[in-house]
Amino acid sequence: MRPFARIKLEKREDVGLFGRLFAILVALLAAMLVSAVLIKFTDASPTEAFTNLIKGAFGNRRAILETLVKSTPLILTGLATVIAFRGKIWSIGQEGQFFLGAIGGYWAYRAFEGLPALALVPIIVVAGFLTGAIGGMVAGFLKAYFNVDEIISTVMGNYIIDYFLSFLLSGVGPWREPGSYYQQTATISENAHYPLLFDNSRLHMGFLIALTGSLVVYLILNHTPFGYQLRAFGSNPRAAKFKGININKIFIVTMLISGGLAGLAGTGELFGVQYRLRPDLSPGYGYTGIIVAMLAGLNPIGVLPAGILFGALINGSAQMRIATGVPTALTYAIQAIVLLFLLSAQVLSRYRIRRIEHAG
Amino acid sequence: MLGSLLQAAIIVNILASTIRIATPLLLGAMGELVSERSGVMNLGIEGTMLMSSYVAFLVDFQTNSIILAILAAMLTGAIMSLIMAFMASTLKVDQTVTGLALNLLASGISLFWYRVAFKGTSTESIPTIQTMGTVKLPLLGDLPYLGEIFFSQGLLTYLAFLMVPVIAFVLYRTHTGLAIRSLGENPRAVDMKGINVTRLQYMSVIFGGVMSGLAGSFITIGTTVRFLPEISAGRGWLALVIVIAGNWRAGRILLATLLFAFLDAFQLQLQGIGIQFPFQILLAAPYILAVVVLMSSRARSQAPKHLGMPYMREEG
Repeated sequence: MRPFARIKLEKREDVGLFGRLFAILVALLAAMLVSAVLIKFTDASPTEAFTNLIKGAFGNRRAILETLVKSTPLILTGLATVIAFRGKIWSIGQEGQFFLGAIGGYWAYRAFEGLPALALVPIIVVAGFLTGAIGGMVAGFLKAYFNVDEIISTVMGNYIIDYFLSFLLSGVGPWREPGSYYQQTATISENAHYPLLFDNSRLHMGFLIALTGSLVVYLILNHTPFGYQLRAFGSNPRAAKFKGININKIFIVTMLISGGLAGLAGTGELFGVQYRLRPDLSPGYGYTGIIVAMLAGLNPIGVLPAGILFGALINGSAQMRIATGVPTALTYAIQAIVLLFLLSAQVLSRYRIRRIEHAG
Repeated sequence: MLGSLLQAAIIVNILASTIRIATPLLLGAMGELVSERSGVMNLGIEGTMLMSSYVAFLVDFQTNSIILAILAAMLTGAIMSLIMAFMASTLKVDQTVTGLALNLLASGISLFWYRVAFKGTSTESIPTIQTMGTVKLPLLGDLPYLGEIFFSQGLLTYLAFLMVPVIAFVLYRTHTGLAIRSLGENPRAVDMKGINVTRLQYMSVIFGGVMSGLAGSFITIGTTVRFLPEISAGRGWLALVIVIAGNWRAGRILLATLLFAFLDAFQLQLQGIGIQFPFQILLAAPYILAVVVLMSSRARSQAPKHLGMPYMREEG
């Protein structure tokens, strides 16, 4: 016989929107606290650093539009992650497929250089999607027919693509800008540039592609038989097998779409922002996309605010460094810390505290 | 005459590099083996290696002490894997995503810390450290060819190869080893025996982390005088591949490690000779081999049945 009621953590069946938002808020606050400690190490003032970060990201019209520029590839790699992870396909290949998209787009640009912009730009977009998609498909195919773990195959793929690009841009490679000291291609001519959306801003057509992508992924997941099968497989792989869902097809088609979306991110960066293919075209957009997707709760519409938030972080960090000397590498640490706290907070929000009267 | 001598020298050189290059892979893979045997798939070992290689570099730079640097790297490995164990074993969060988060954390923190600690260093004045050096074993080291290949290596290399039989012995011949292996197969049975599942899993994962820490320290203070971002360059991921390719057995893991290390040593030698061949393709070879190895090693007979799944005890 115990005199006191016990307090028990009880698992909830459904977390609900409030629980999810609460977890996100807790994760962001906790990550801010840890970042403040990290900033302290640099002898800068955390308040000043954060103020400059926010100013740099949202301070004026130009800053806001630049934040959207930075969020464009993140939304696309985030969507690439969403569709794969919803089917419990743990692809980490977004970084490599990003570069494949840039490589494919650049290849198409070289092949059809003479065409007018109206024809050339769509060709580049399609080529970028396709090359990324092929990269994703290889991983899906290896998983379907050779039981190769997709985590490992996509990570290995990232390294292989990295070296392949480095070869293309090397002294003996075909794409090196003649006479250049750096690993880079020549500047892309103007008829291949993505159209810009506003005056005095680098925001380009890729942002519209990202918005459309978010809608398309939402429709695929929620309003097509394939999306239904993918979600069914993701929530219970075994049951899906018994229901007669063609699992190999799921792996391959999912990875095709995922790779294509990540590829579009790379094409957009190359033809919308940088205009030159270089090994540092992505400062890790593929990996950040994974965090964006997790923060969005694997919801394709939620990827938009999550992508913009991380775009703001990257964009604002430049001003933070200029004003306070805090290295921009801080943003990568913050991203990972957000993810770790988010995972923990999600677990806690799945429980509720309940007093139970002890019964015998 | 001179030609054949040169060839022998080249072969000895390649084989000696193979043993050296195998060191971090072997340390990482054997540590991961223990972790995975206990049911936790630590995908964060790439990040664990990266973080410890940075910490080893930093401590070596500050104190000029190799011993302190190695200890600090081991501690870093322990802390990184403590996070993994906490998330996987206590919070029961998805292990895949946690591992990824650890890798991203290491990339961010190591770069940030490097930029803060070595502020104002330019390309002309990249900070350098003293490296570990090799120890020629008495008698064995004087053997023709073999002495140069196997017995003139760094201390961490001897340790890495020594750990293979030690870990195999502990896993297969001791009660603790049996309990660890049972954890990966059937944690409920271990729980019923009154063994503390969480504690044992923590110990296994942290042991794996310490091994990755040693691997990380070898990457910097064992081989190079500088630190570069992402210096671990996929060695942690290769260690994961090696565990799968080795079918979760110590002996086969050793063989798989030597295969990868040999390939890397071979391509280094080709680069050194200056053969007209795009060397980026050679650099990508281990990763291509990894995919091929996984394609052909479809038998996963020895994979722990409960790998990657959190153990939930039903509450009465």
